[in-house]
Amino acid sequence: MAFTKETSPEAPDRQEWEEQLSRVGLIRRLLLARRWYGADWWFVAISSAMVFGFALVAMIPGPLAPYDPYSQVGPRFLAPGAEPDVPVLIVSEGSDLQDLEDLALPADQGRVPIGVVRGVPTADALRQRAQEIDTELTGDGEALRLRPEIERYDDIGDTLQAVVDGDTVAAIVQTTEFESVAGEFPTLVAANSITGQAANRGGFLLGTNQIGQDLYSRLIWGTRIALIIGFSSSLVALVLGVPLGLMAGYRGGKLDRILTVIMDSLYAFPGLILAIAITAVLGPSILNVIVAIAVLYVPTYYRIVRGQTLSVKEEVFVEAARSIGARPREILRRYIYPNVIPSVAIIFSVNVADAILTGAGLSFLGLGLPPNTADWGIDVARGQEFIQSAWWLVTFPGLAIMLVVLAFTMMGEGLMEIFNPKLRER
Amino acid sequence: MTDVLYSIRDLIVEYDTRAGPVRAVDRVNFDIRRGEILGLVGESGCGKSTLGKALMRLVHTGKIIDGELLFDGTNLMTLSERQMRQVRGGRIGMVFQDPMTSLNPVQRIADHLTETITTHEPGVSERAARERSTTLIERLGIRPERLDEYPHQMSGGMRQRVMIALALALHADLVIADEPTTSLDVIVEAKFLDLLKELQQEFDLTILLITHNIGVVAEVADRVAVMYAGRMMELGEVNDVFADPKHPYTQGLLRSVPNISLDQGELHKMEGAPPNLLHPPKGCPFNPRCPEVMEICQMADPGFDPVYEGHLAACWLYQRTPSRSSTGV
Amino acid sequence: MTGPLVEVSSLKKWFPLQTGFMASLLHRGEIPSVRAVDDVSFAIRRGEVFGLAGESGSGKSTVGRLILGLLDPTAGTVTFDGQDLSTLQPEEMRRLRSRMQVVFQDPLASLNPRMTIGQAIGHPAEIHMPNLTPAQQRATIFEMLDAVGMSPPEQFYAKYPHQISGGQRQRIVIARALVTKPDLIVADEPVAMADVSVRALLLDLMMELKQEFNLTYVFITHDLATAKYVCDRIAVMYLGKIVEMGDLNDVFESPTHPYTRALLDAVPVPDPRHRRTEPMPRGEIPSAINPPSGCRFHPRCPIAQSGVCDVLDPRLEPLPVGSAEHLASCHLRTGDYLELDPERGLRPI
Repeated sequence: MAFTKETSPEAPDRQEWEEQLSRVGLIRRLLLARRWYGADWWFVAISSAMVFGFALVAMIPGPLAPYDPYSQVGPRFLAPGAEPDVPVLIVSEGSDLQDLEDLALPADQGRVPIGVVRGVPTADALRQRAQEIDTELTGDGEALRLRPEIERYDDIGDTLQAVVDGDTVAAIVQTTEFESVAGEFPTLVAANSITGQAANRGGFLLGTNQIGQDLYSRLIWGTRIALIIGFSSSLVALVLGVPLGLMAGYRGGKLDRILTVIMDSLYAFPGLILAIAITAVLGPSILNVIVAIAVLYVPTYYRIVRGQTLSVKEEVFVEAARSIGARPREILRRYIYPNVIPSVAIIFSVNVADAILTGAGLSFLGLGLPPNTADWGIDVARGQEFIQSAWWLVTFPGLAIMLVVLAFTMMGEGLMEIFNPKLRER
Repeated sequence: MTDVLYSIRDLIVEYDTRAGPVRAVDRVNFDIRRGEILGLVGESGCGKSTLGKALMRLVHTGKIIDGELLFDGTNLMTLSERQMRQVRGGRIGMVFQDPMTSLNPVQRIADHLTETITTHEPGVSERAARERSTTLIERLGIRPERLDEYPHQMSGGMRQRVMIALALALHADLVIADEPTTSLDVIVEAKFLDLLKELQQEFDLTILLITHNIGVVAEVADRVAVMYAGRMMELGEVNDVFADPKHPYTQGLLRSVPNISLDQGELHKMEGAPPNLLHPPKGCPFNPRCPEVMEICQMADPGFDPVYEGHLAACWLYQRTPSRSSTGV
Repeated sequence: MTGPLVEVSSLKKWFPLQTGFMASLLHRGEIPSVRAVDDVSFAIRRGEVFGLAGESGSGKSTVGRLILGLLDPTAGTVTFDGQDLSTLQPEEMRRLRSRMQVVFQDPLASLNPRMTIGQAIGHPAEIHMPNLTPAQQRATIFEMLDAVGMSPPEQFYAKYPHQISGGQRQRIVIARALVTKPDLIVADEPVAMADVSVRALLLDLMMELKQEFNLTYVFITHDLATAKYVCDRIAVMYLGKIVEMGDLNDVFESPTHPYTRALLDAVPVPDPRHRRTEPMPRGEIPSAINPPSGCRFHPRCPIAQSGVCDVLDPRLEPLPVGSAEHLASCHLRTGDYLELDPERGLRPI
């Protein structure tokens, strides 16, 4: 009896597509997938780009943050994008005078005339600052002294005109005032601020908080903390929950029952409260936050893995594996685990989002992290009371939290759409 | 001549898959005669189930992109969805393959029946509907007490009979049965087929029986149609088709089925496999596997034409020149 | 090398509906169980194709799993090549598995979607032939792919199950079963899910492999037409018991048990001129939890005699005429009440 050899595989339509795919590289494959998956592809692509962006920020915050997040670099409560209103030195164009210090003269050359507008506290600031610099100079043993001769003028126009005419060497006016009339005095430029505060060094993109810290820099540095907390706690939860779930699902019996009771109890506990309790006991540090949140999510992985294991265990191919004589460990490793793990990988992304949110919640309540840490939750907490006057203090950290959580959730959900129902058609 | 209940002309049903459009039903022409049992056979993927659903305009994921469905004089393609709903159940009933999933698990059998009746015939009272259901159930061999049971309390065979009852409750003219016995045991199947034949006589039913089981068709059908790759390959009186099949596919198919009443030697084995509907072969879709393939088979589509009166085949062996699909009789 | 390959003796497998402490308290005595296999005995000879036929609930699949040791019997024994399976340690049982393999009904479900075809076929080799070098293992896998007609083997080696057709998948499952050169293959509805035109191919493949590899088959099926095509001997099961058993031709030509007669007659014949002659048994297959008393078939049997069939459990006995190996379990046909058979002497054999 002869039988027909099958030489060419029959082709359901998916198969031909796969043949094509196997011949192109990974990048082409990703792009071709766009045609296949449509909207889902965009979903995953956009959110992955966002996640990648956030990860990048988290890895190299230094070059990206214009200021040190912890020091006071600007005036307090500066609105986003506003110019800090500081007294600056106005000099003639081409002059090499930059700071107040540059106006110091040798002791015998007398006093340097500097103009201010009458009736404005600028004179005070000038005198104070000049005093400080002078004391410094004498202390250093320099031959230079700074003793300004303060000339008062009626208005800004006169003050600036005096510089142009050469009556004064320089004028001290507020930046905003100068801006408004700068057009009439094309030969004058603003040098640095006399108080040392940055005038226009890129400005403060998102404003400053009540201490004068740059919010934008704080957010950049906060990304690192948020992502570290999110990733680490999810990872720890995964490493603990997955093996336990596999064992409980496969073995069943007493081990399963005991573990499930424990996990269900943990799971039933309101998450944030449990995390609060743990951090309160362990004390404030980033490591303790990670531990607390990890404990929170171990049941999530446990339950999913256990459920999947239970159903995969009943599959015919597992019975077939037993029938060929495979040992339980082998069956777990090669038959059950690979069929269970895809769902875990996808849950991980959504879980990171959740963990970041919980972490922000904890630090919002003042738990877990040292109080001055540049963290989004802490920023939101700090900004609460000023929500009416300085709205940006709460809004931008809140937006940051939202965007990160959105990005991770979208990526996880998108991947779930792609991998779970459609690809594995069984 | 013979009275035609349902005339299907140039029916095309397409599915839009991600890899491109697929023609599950590719220009099918045939008639269903009043009072007959027409068997529709084919292997998986040939399009017979899609065709069955298309006849009730029940195609969800695909679309009927062309064709005429002349049911008792009316072209169903011109009807609105509301009008179609009256046709479905009222004039054309359907019996599905898996009675487990086609009955509502949280509804009693009685409710299934009475609701169907009162929805389609608003004038009928609950009581009258209940009486009708009871009579029907008894006729189908189910004790009337069981009307108050839920589907899961009944066996597969009984559930299938409930499905028929649903079709009969509204005095449907045509019953489309899609693999009605595939999930049933052999003895239950035999009884079901007997019942079908009885009902056909008693209620003057017309039945389109879709199945992959050639034996079932031989047992109950008056005429049989053979489908392959979305096309109809052969159609004729059941005795004629079985005794002297014209299309090479039918010939191969009949020879590959084991016959328990014979002492058979080897079974025939067909080479190859059904084509990929995304890229069907040029000409006759069976040509890569046909033992009698000719050059023209690979170039042009044969029409579905009579070999002799009442027996059609889509095959170049019986046609002289390329002709368009003519009417199925 | 003599003696039956498999011997099944008074085999019982009951599945209790509930387990545990509470259940035994509640039911005090016998916990209701599904009596899937209820006292079944037979022997399988080396080199034969032994058919186990029946409808749903007959217990045939359960018997198959019991033979393979995938289930433990509630009572009775399964002996493979002289060894009682229940006496084996787990490690010994595992090693014995290399000699008995299974082919299930659904090839897609039987293959791990995460393993390539090469890995799937190679796994039994890894377990039972650990001394093979990777090259030798690969060669063995290729040999198997070739043997089942999947040629060229390199083309299929790295593919996944979802990338090939249903008929091809079943061939892979067969290849996997053959890798360890077993003595016995239990095939549970091996062609039920394949297309009609593919079935003949698969069946012929299995028969040719039987010759080539010196196999013994247990062929479990509900399709008697298929059984007729391949089996040498056949046992017909109903509700956990064997009602008739014997050489295939004997059983099919002279069916004795009323159930067997009805079953054979019910099989659809692809010939429109064929007519059924037997009346179909009334009613439906009863639940296996509470089977009828006496002869399981009596409520549906056209010749059942009250007082006998509903009280006494029949035994498998040889026919009064014909082969001594043709057995049936019927009081009126092979038992002690032959005189009560209403068709006695009337029916031609």
